[in-house]
Amino acid sequence: MIRSYLAEATPSFAWRNRLGNWRTEIFAGFVGAILVIPQGITFAYLAGLQPEYGLYCAIFVTLFCSVFGTSSMMSGPNTAVAILIGTAVLPLAGRGSPVYIDFVFLLCLMVGAIQLLFWLMRGARIFQYLSPAAISGISAGAGFLIIMASLDSILDLSTFKTTFFYEKIYVIVSDARDLVNPYSLFIGLCTIAGGYIGRRFSPRYFIIIAVTTGYLSGLLVAFIWPQPVTELEYLGRMPIEWLPLHLPTINMEYLMMSTMLIPYAITIAFIGLAQSLVIVRELKMETDQDINLDKEVYAQGLANLLAPFFSSFAGAGSFNRTKANQSLGATTPFSGIASAGFVLVLITFLGPILTYMPMAAMAGTLFIVGADMIKWRDIKHYAQVRAELVIYLATFISIMFFGLATGVVVAVFLSVSVFMLRISQLELSVEPIESGVLLKVKGALFYASLAHLTEKFHSHVGKNLTIDLQFTTHIDQSAVDFFIRESRNMAAQGVRLTLLINEKQGHFLKKMGVNSDIELVAV
Amino acid sequence: MLAINFIRRLFLVALLISVPIAGLAQQGQPSIQQLLQEPFLDDYYSNVVYGYEIVTDTQANASRYVGNSLNCSNCHLQAGTQQEALPLNVAGMYPKWRAKNGKRNGIGLRIRECFLYSMDGIMPPEDAPEVLAISAYISYLSQGQIMGAEPEGRGVPTLPDTGYDPNPATGRAVYLEQCASCHGAQGEGVAGMPPVWGLNSYNKGAGMHDIREAAGFIWANMPLGNGKSLTHQQALDVSAYLNLQIRPSDPRDSKFLKLLEHLIN
Repeated sequence: MIRSYLAEATPSFAWRNRLGNWRTEIFAGFVGAILVIPQGITFAYLAGLQPEYGLYCAIFVTLFCSVFGTSSMMSGPNTAVAILIGTAVLPLAGRGSPVYIDFVFLLCLMVGAIQLLFWLMRGARIFQYLSPAAISGISAGAGFLIIMASLDSILDLSTFKTTFFYEKIYVIVSDARDLVNPYSLFIGLCTIAGGYIGRRFSPRYFIIIAVTTGYLSGLLVAFIWPQPVTELEYLGRMPIEWLPLHLPTINMEYLMMSTMLIPYAITIAFIGLAQSLVIVRELKMETDQDINLDKEVYAQGLANLLAPFFSSFAGAGSFNRTKANQSLGATTPFSGIASAGFVLVLITFLGPILTYMPMAAMAGTLFIVGADMIKWRDIKHYAQVRAELVIYLATFISIMFFGLATGVVVAVFLSVSVFMLRISQLELSVEPIESGVLLKVKGALFYASLAHLTEKFHSHVGKNLTIDLQFTTHIDQSAVDFFIRESRNMAAQGVRLTLLINEKQGHFLKKMGVNSDIELVAV
Repeated sequence: MLAINFIRRLFLVALLISVPIAGLAQQGQPSIQQLLQEPFLDDYYSNVVYGYEIVTDTQANASRYVGNSLNCSNCHLQAGTQQEALPLNVAGMYPKWRAKNGKRNGIGLRIRECFLYSMDGIMPPEDAPEVLAISAYISYLSQGQIMGAEPEGRGVPTLPDTGYDPNPATGRAVYLEQCASCHGAQGEGVAGMPPVWGLNSYNKGAGMHDIREAAGFIWANMPLGNGKSLTHQQALDVSAYLNLQIRPSDPRDSKFLKLLEHLIN
């Protein structure tokens, strides 16, 4: 037991043997690095942190996750996780202040610890209960939140902050002339246009085209008008260190305050793992990689636990970068390791150029990323089954109005209840036989599905009943209690209850203390 | 959610009450030294301490928006607490109209312009953590001042008319004799002392680029620790000499040059 855990906890590097085409892996890592830089910066902004923390996340979370993991999944800064960090910590301290950063690191430590707990409890299978519709709904809702957050920077609404999107839209529309910064809007629109036009020519690198367009339009604006006039927001210098070691502050007061972070930590741990595992499951289906799901959970948890020690916030698997990685032909974790290295090198050399990167250009790319997460195709796909459509839309709308954390709770609740509803449906067929009535039961017989059976019992009062349990998948204690109770009632009326069972069910029924009122017939 | 909100509020109230009590009992508010000793600070005081750290070590704590190698405390001496050396206890003076940009300035815009001109960097956004921290620190220093009234020793002293024009040539001689040991013969600064010209100093839009303003500062505070030892005329001469030297351009008029400076520097 302990040995198997230890075997999972050490990096296996089993992919070394499959590392035939290392040039492909390195190139995929390079593209991943270029893609992650704008994402890291903007997601750090969503999390309320300075941009360098996002880049550290892109370096260290990706690195640890790839070293300890088994798949070519690209981990790193993640939208939903970043938004949740922001919502969790913003009520406690001012955005970006030292106390805020301490709380973020504390939150990430908790997230890592909870994810490791998931690993110890073999929690990976829990995520199978989150239906695909719910995951798509969460993703679409996060996309909507990203678009709304990107509007802050595109329109330069730094003086006006609200959490309600309808209020924001109303104020933008009614007060556009006073509120909107036209220079910022120009750069943002250039970026978005560049992205969508660039996608026609190069679907793989369009984010880079968008960022470049935004940067150049920013230079154009800065060339014509000085900064005191435009009031543009720039990225500024990033004090990047190669090894940003940091010891998270932990003392009594912080721990007291952090109790209110626990629900968010659980949500973030859950959301992060859910996304990573969905990606890994897809990879496992589509490629022939030797993937161990539990090991992926461990890698993600450990990466998030170690992240605060390297000045980085928590991350999770990234859909778009894993897709790019896959389409470039990477099949081992080596591409992730290479990506982390390339981010470090690129940032060191791009630093001076990035200083003059307008935040509106960053937000423009964020807008594109967010719009990509709301897929019309998904809605059409789920519209075919009503229950799935309800899950999808309810998740999406509750995220729109009440935020991501509430939306996830709604999604989990709806998935589980639809699942329960489906599983509690019994397939019953009634056949008259010479001794009375034969009732064939298909499905799982447990507390939730008993109601269905009770109706049938009550419609055949006063007849001998034979219940065929051969095709019943599961019987629980409440079902046995039900049979005992009914058999007593029937014995009082002078009729008998007969159960047709297999050997395993026989053992269970005897253990539960079935009395002589029930006739057991082994088949 | 309601329960969480309630607990959160309870904690915040408890913290707000408990942390500053020790300081309030003595003299209104705790000193920066006391605050630095505290293991945990609430949002306001942690921002004050962050602001203090930015002012004393801008290079390390607000490097994002800084384009030269100065710190705030190079001009705002003693972390902005010394009179006649641009003290920072001026929260009560803002918002006010300033001729420099022709509009009414809040303390936030004033701080952001400092980054743009004196620190030769880029203008932080209004809600940047650094700006908020510095304004918290300014509010903290302004404790006890009368709102709207000018604090004693605000800014730098205005020098009386000496009857002579400032002479950069005599200024050079004074500079080499009195200032060069700390600020370097080429104005490049030595360890711990700020450069006074060159690409690593304040730019041509800064308040210090005004001859009378810089002369007032020099006369009142320079050489450091031996202020008011120069004559008024000597201070004006040195100031005129500094004003002739090369330094980053004004971000308001040479846009392309500004971009190049940022890219190479």
